Amino acid sequence: MKRSSPIAVTLAFLGYVVMIVPILFVVATAFTDGDALTFPPEGLSLRWFEAAISYEPFTRALVSSLQLALISTVLALGIGIPATLAIMRGRLPGKSVVEGLFLSPLILPELVVGLALFQQFMIHLEMDNFRTLLIGHTAILLPYTVRVTGASLALADPALEDAARGLGASAWRSFWTVTLPVLRPGIISAALLSFVTSFNNVPISLLLQSRDFRTLPVTMLDYVQQNYTPIVAAMSTLLLAGTVVLAFAAERILGFARIFGGINR
Amino acid sequence: MIRSRRIALVLLLPGLVLLVAGVVIPALTMLLSPPRVSTGEVFDRLGRMLSDPYDLAIIWRTLRIGLTVTGLCLVLGFPTAYLLARSRSRWAGVLLALAIFPLLLSNVVRTYGWLVVLGRNGVVGQTIEGLGLADPAPQLLYTELAVVLGLTQLFLPLAIITCYSAVAQVDANLDEAARGLGAGRMRTLWSVTIPLSMPGIAMAATLVFAGAVTAYTTPYLLGGSRQTMLATQLFRYSGVSLDWAAASATALIMTVLVLVVYSLSTAITRAKAVSR
Repeated sequence: MKRSSPIAVTLAFLGYVVMIVPILFVVATAFTDGDALTFPPEGLSLRWFEAAISYEPFTRALVSSLQLALISTVLALGIGIPATLAIMRGRLPGKSVVEGLFLSPLILPELVVGLALFQQFMIHLEMDNFRTLLIGHTAILLPYTVRVTGASLALADPALEDAARGLGASAWRSFWTVTLPVLRPGIISAALLSFVTSFNNVPISLLLQSRDFRTLPVTMLDYVQQNYTPIVAAMSTLLLAGTVVLAFAAERILGFARIFGGINR
Repeated sequence: MIRSRRIALVLLLPGLVLLVAGVVIPALTMLLSPPRVSTGEVFDRLGRMLSDPYDLAIIWRTLRIGLTVTGLCLVLGFPTAYLLARSRSRWAGVLLALAIFPLLLSNVVRTYGWLVVLGRNGVVGQTIEGLGLADPAPQLLYTELAVVLGLTQLFLPLAIITCYSAVAQVDANLDEAARGLGAGRMRTLWSVTIPLSMPGIAMAATLVFAGAVTAYTTPYLLGGSRQTMLATQLFRYSGVSLDWAAASATALIMTVLVLVVYSLSTAITRAKAVSR
């Protein structure tokens, strides 16, 4: 192996600094004993963590976010996996149009989707905001499901399914015993990506918020604008810890890089 | 294979209904005929925006920030992806995971970090004052620089993994062959590796640009009201002043911008594929 170019190494190092260092400062300031967002932190304490987990708007929003992410992930998988099977294995007229439609929420700006749902569902049809949020979140998760499970399905040989059918298995049985095992890693990746995408979403959750149902990122964003206390740093650190646990679980189950291999294909 | 067309349609139906009734129709209605506003009024408003210096400044700022962030993400992301893809060290896996990890983390958390770094009592400001370079330190937050840094942090992971899969697909032996035939390191990079990973680089640029010109959290937190971009302006019209005509006109500009970039990138990638 030849020595790497010092220019490339420097640029890569700078990249990691930009990606990682601000996050480290969030963690450092979360442990401050002072009242302001300063660095270095004034003294060491856990008081802002205590404040964050006992601050009712945050805890309520956390429950709302988890609820929304969980239900929309299940919906996106339930709708997306059959659709992927139809797109990849079916003989459909206008297949590229259908594929384009399923990827369209990825291309349309999320604020546009959010505003459209706000006007048409919440104002025009007077639907409550939780149901409207479910529609919006499920729609923006579908592209991930279709791409990621599609990438898994592309690895499966359709001839195997045909062979199972030829040997007398029903369509259902051949799906259950031949196709599904191949799809499993794709489904797990899609579920993880969907959950995280919904949980972290801002534009749609922001436009579709109501007094009774607000997600955590929207609540935090709102809080930051009004107060400059380290309580958001503490909440952010807790979210970071949760995300690290999720990432390690993902690494254990599937391997991290494999999960993200499907994103761009 | 699913032989019956009817079964395929049944499998597809829930998704089709959700996307057509939940995204396509509402989006078209919002863009072209929002509540109590006629299509004519939307386009009238759009025309005025495109000739008003205040609105043009917002559009121009959005484009400028989008292009700067795309450039930075490629300049920092491609070398990182190249090193990671070509390295045989076992640390490469760890570093790749470290580059992917921020994608799982909330935008709010990632952007919030810059408030600590660039804020009034932040690290950078205090360092500048401590070193006696300037006192008080110049305003860093709510500047275009802050927004550019925040968006670069946000989209760099996407640029890295997209370039990574592109570089990883290029046979490393081709690099070796070029070097063996006497090409220098730069020459090999410019005439072998980069051209062969061009579809991936184009994709990375598209994803970063489209993401940067539509992102909301970062310009909201780091740009404030001084660095209004299309996204923050769109929210102001739709969530604060409820000016539907202006909201639709702004949304149209944003949507067209993103669609143009996606189609350009698709056209370039197709042309490349054909010419090979």
